Amino acid sequence: MKRFLLSMVAAVVISPVLASAGEDGPTILDTRCAYCHNLKGPAPQTIHDLWKRDAPDLFYAGNKFRREWLVSWLQKPVRIRPAGVNYLRTINSTPHQEGKDGKKYDVLWGAVLKPLVHETLTAPEAELVADSLMKLRAGDELVSGMMVDKSKTVTLDQGEVLIDKVYGCQSCHQIEPGYGGYTGPELYTAGRRLQPEFMLSYIKRPKNWDPKIWMPNGNVKPEDLQKIVNYLILLSKENFDEAR
Amino acid sequence: MKPGKLILASALLAMASVPAVQAEEAYLNYKSYCMQCHGMHGKGDGVNVPAMNVQPRDHSDNKYMMTRTNTDIYKAIKFGGPAVNKSVKMPAWGDTFTEEELQEMVGHIRTLCCEKELIRGVNFK
Ligand code: HEC
Ligand code: HEC
Ligand code: HEC
Repeated sequence: MKRFLLSMVAAVVISPVLASAGEDGPTILDTRCAYCHNLKGPAPQTIHDLWKRDAPDLFYAGNKFRREWLVSWLQKPVRIRPAGVNYLRTINSTPHQEGKDGKKYDVLWGAVLKPLVHETLTAPEAELVADSLMKLRAGDELVSGMMVDKSKTVTLDQGEVLIDKVYGCQSCHQIEPGYGGYTGPELYTAGRRLQPEFMLSYIKRPKNWDPKIWMPNGNVKPEDLQKIVNYLILLSKENFDEAR
Repeated sequence: MKPGKLILASALLAMASVPAVQAEEAYLNYKSYCMQCHGMHGKGDGVNVPAMNVQPRDHSDNKYMMTRTNTDIYKAIKFGGPAVNKSVKMPAWGDTFTEEELQEMVGHIRTLCCEKELIRGVNFK
C-alpha cells in the first residue's frame, strides 16, 4: 500500500513535466499565463477593477506586439513598467529622497526595485505562444486605418522636444533608462516591442484600449502623432544595453 | 489622505451639497490619475516629480489656491495647464472624466486646500 501511495505521489509530481513537453500554445497560455493575464477581454471598466489587475491585458496582443519581440522577451523577460502594473501599489510617501530644492518626493519601493520575476519559456515554447498571442486581435477595429507616414521623419533631438516640452509625455515615460518618469512603460524600447499602428492608435486615445488607464489623451496633432511614432521607432534602434 | 480626513472631506462636500458618494468617487479619481504627479498627499511631490522640470502644484497651498476661482481649477483640469497660462506638464483630463466627474474633482481640490473656507461658506465662484 505504502509503495502504491508513493508511486501515486510520484505520478502527480512528474506528470505536469511530462505533459509540458508536448504542450501547445493555447494550453500554455491557459495553464501558465491566464491566472495573471486577461486573455479574453474586456479591459477593466471601473477604477476598482483596474486596481485589481495584476498583469497587462493580452487579449489584443496580436494588435499590439511585434512577434519577434515576443519570442525573445518570453525567453528572457525584463521589466517594462518601472513602477509595475499599478504605481499605486508601489509608491511610498516616506521621504527617502532629497530633491533639487531640498523637497521630498514619493518614491518607489519593494519588488519593483528588483529585477522582474516572470514565467520564462524555452525557445520552442516561445514560438508557439507567440503564434497564439498573435491570434488575439480584439483591437482590429482600433488599428484599422492607422498607418505610419514614414515621410514625417524627425531627429532624436526633435523627437525629444515633442515628447518632453511640447506634450509632456516624459513626465510619465522614460526615453532612456533612468531618464523620465515612472508611471508609464519605458518608451525607449517601444519601437522594438510594439506595432506602429498600435502606437498611433494608443497615443491618439488611450481610453479606447483601456478605459480607466491613468494616461491622459494628449490631444496630439495628427502630424505630431506621426512624428512621435517615427521618433519612437528611431529611438528603439539606439543601444541602451550598456546603460541598463 | 487618512480615512479620518476622507470622512471630514466627505462631510465638507456634503455641506456644499454634494453627496458623499460623489466625494468618494472624486477621491478615487484623484488617487488614480493625479497622485502620480501631485503626490500621495496632494503636496506636489508625486513619484514622477524628479523627472519633471515644472513642479506640480501643491494642492494644499492655501495661499495660492485661494487666488484661483473654481472656474480656473475646472479649466486647468479639463483643458490642461496652457488653458490657464500654466505649463503643458499639467495634462488635459477632459477626455478622461465626464462633466460630472470634473465638477466633483474641483470640489475635491477645494477640500485639499481650503477646508476652513468651505466651512465658512466662502463662494469660490
Ligand atoms: C504571476 C503573474 C504572471 C504570470 C503567471 C505571467 N505573467 Fe506575463 N506579466 C506579468 C507582469 C506583472 C507583467 C508586466 C511586466 C512589466 O511591465 O514590467 C507581465 C508582462 C507580460 C508581457 C508584456 C506585456 C506588456 O503589455 O508589456 C507579456 C507578453 C507576457 N507577460 C506574457 C506572458 C505569458 C505568455 C505568460 C505565460 C507563459 C505569462 N506572461 C505569465 C505577470 C505574469
Ligand atoms: C500621466 C502619465 C502619462 C502621460 C503624461 C503619458 N503617458 Fe503614455 N502611458 C501611460 C500609462 C499609464 C500607460 C499604460 C500602461 C499599461 O498599459 O500598463 C501608457 C502607455 C503608453 C504607450 C503604450 C506603451 C506600452 O508599452 O504599452 C505609448 C506608446 C505611450 N504611452 C506614449 C505616450 C506619449 C507619446 C505621450 C505624450 C503624448 C504619453 N504617453 C503621455 C502614462 C502616461
Ligand atoms: C504629468 C503630471 C501631472 C498629472 C498626472 C496631473 N498634474 Fe496637475 N499639474 C501638474 C503640473 C506640473 C502643474 C503646475 C503647472 C504650472 O504651475 O505651470 C499642475 C497644476 C495643477 C493645478 C493648478 C493650476 C493652476 O491654476 O495653477 C490643478 C488644479 C491641477 N494641476 C489639478 C490636477 C488634477 C485634478 C489632476 C488629476 C486629474 C492632475 N492635476 C494631474 C502636473 C500634473
